Amino acid sequence: MKQYRMRPGRLIAKAVLALAGFLAVFPLVWTALNALKNNVDIITRVPKVIFTPTLANIGYILGRDSVLTGLYNSIVACGSAVLIGIVLGLPAAYAVARYPNRFAGDIQFFVLSLRFLPPVAVAIPLMVIWLQVGLYDTLPALIVTYSLLTISVIMWLAIPAFQGVPKEIEEAAFVDGYGAYSVFWRIALPVAARSLIGAIAFSFVLVWNEFLIALMLSSSNAKTLPIVASELSQQGMNVPWGILNASVVLLSLPPLLFLGILSGFLNSVFRQKNN
Amino acid sequence: MSAIVCSHVDKAYGATSVIRDLNLAIEEHEFVVFLGPSGCGKSTLLRMLAGLEDISGGEVSIGGKVVNDLDPGDRGIAMVFQNYALYPHMTIFDNVAFGLKRQKVPAAEIKKRVEAVAKTLGLEPYLGRKPTELSGGQQQRVAIARAMIKTPKVFLFDEPLSNLDAKLRNHMRVEIARLHQSLKTTTVYVTHDQLEAMTLADRIVLLKDGVIEQIGSPAEIYRRPGNQFVAGFIGTPNMNFIDAMVARKGDGWTLTGAGTLLSLEGSDFYLQHGDRVVLGIRPPDLKTAEAGAANLLQGTADLIEFHGNDALVTFGSGGKEISALVPARECPEQSAPVRYSFEEQSIHLFDAESGRSLRKQ
Repeated sequence: MKQYRMRPGRLIAKAVLALAGFLAVFPLVWTALNALKNNVDIITRVPKVIFTPTLANIGYILGRDSVLTGLYNSIVACGSAVLIGIVLGLPAAYAVARYPNRFAGDIQFFVLSLRFLPPVAVAIPLMVIWLQVGLYDTLPALIVTYSLLTISVIMWLAIPAFQGVPKEIEEAAFVDGYGAYSVFWRIALPVAARSLIGAIAFSFVLVWNEFLIALMLSSSNAKTLPIVASELSQQGMNVPWGILNASVVLLSLPPLLFLGILSGFLNSVFRQKNN
Repeated sequence: MSAIVCSHVDKAYGATSVIRDLNLAIEEHEFVVFLGPSGCGKSTLLRMLAGLEDISGGEVSIGGKVVNDLDPGDRGIAMVFQNYALYPHMTIFDNVAFGLKRQKVPAAEIKKRVEAVAKTLGLEPYLGRKPTELSGGQQQRVAIARAMIKTPKVFLFDEPLSNLDAKLRNHMRVEIARLHQSLKTTTVYVTHDQLEAMTLADRIVLLKDGVIEQIGSPAEIYRRPGNQFVAGFIGTPNMNFIDAMVARKGDGWTLTGAGTLLSLEGSDFYLQHGDRVVLGIRPPDLKTAEAGAANLLQGTADLIEFHGNDALVTFGSGGKEISALVPARECPEQSAPVRYSFEEQSIHLFDAESGRSLRKQ
């Protein structure tokens, strides 16, 4: 029997891939492990892989009101902002992609330009605006501000996704008697779904991890989870590594869940294939 | 009553005019083919009938109703696209049923009709599959099923076979012809392939630069081309064109060109002494000359293309490349001298200036 020989090029490529994978995954695994360690096990000179796990850190995190409030704020603010981004961004992107007028190019550039400015440059004006309006340190202020981010990101990524839908397919639906709105719902959205889900997930991760604007727009009530987590490191002289790691785990879970739900939804849409 | 009438139809994109003052009436049950080189406006015209392109000027009516401002779905048409345009996220069943669902047809009837259409087109085993799991020919059949099921007043085909390989194309062409025979639905079919046009059409509409060059049955267009463009476009191998001068000679006429002198009776043509004309003759109309034959075209065989039954012999005569399609057994050797003659009935004469046919009607 002939055996395929592993050529050196392939071997090197695989090694590089394995290294990159290790670099990406190891910190996450280490963080997850540290979340289960006592502080003593974390600060030892020799890293410990085998240790007695403890749920104290996680228990501490989940027992704090500030963390739970932060989690609630993050979920509401990011969830609403992404929802608004979907509701407004997707139809806008479709209109720009399919019914371009002479402003289509300008619209696209404007949407992108929203992302040019460093957040710190807009954070202070935004803070002043919300103070004036009287909504400083409230969730609505955060939702509206985050919506600017989600709409622009979703639109920017969805325009090429919609342009990728073959025009003839939509025309066939027109000939089948459907109007422009039905074509959007029944043809463009499902056909472009894979790319659109990516855009939505990306926008969620972007606002979920957002720190600076949230820091500027909240003082106590509307703090999001990243702000709360960062504050955990400022307690006393000893850095509570275990608690920090546990908060990081808590912070990472919702985007994972969100992606899981989205890809599950995707699979259910495209599963019919094999029946 | 005509099924489709276009009167003074114009189409322009900004300053670019694509179709100019086009008039056309298509009869009920007729199979009409729009034929022309790419960019001649044939697809645009079809899409205007479908309602996928705005009509810049003039009027289009389908079944006696002006449809200029009607949506595609309200025109009573069904269309088959070049690249099939199947809905990739739906099963074959749903693809075919999609139009009926819009018409709020009860589910049980949809099922019955989809199955009936699938049976006609041999698609039954594939109803549960997705379009990407089907071959090109099967996908095109689904596209035809999707059009058929709506029992439209008019079928529109936009180069439906050009994405298929040659063998499948022949097969599908026959299927489309059969389908039209049994359904008798008025059909407009766009193609750049003259073989498809000749075999399928009741009438061919030959377009060039957004203007109709000629309308007629395939035989009419082949035998009596209205101008030099039509003559050159239709027929494989292409017609030979020879520039010639007309002179009166007794009761007849002589043509001088391509290094030869040809004498004609000329009663079929409008001719005048001193006219500059283009003589057109199809390669199969050139016959190996017998001794003493008149109207000779001669030279040395430059290029011989063997076709099986026939051979295409290309030779130079008076600095002009001329082709003759002769039976393979009469095929000369490469570089051998050849002599061909023709019957007067088989020639075409065109005005050198306007390209218009000089044949008397």
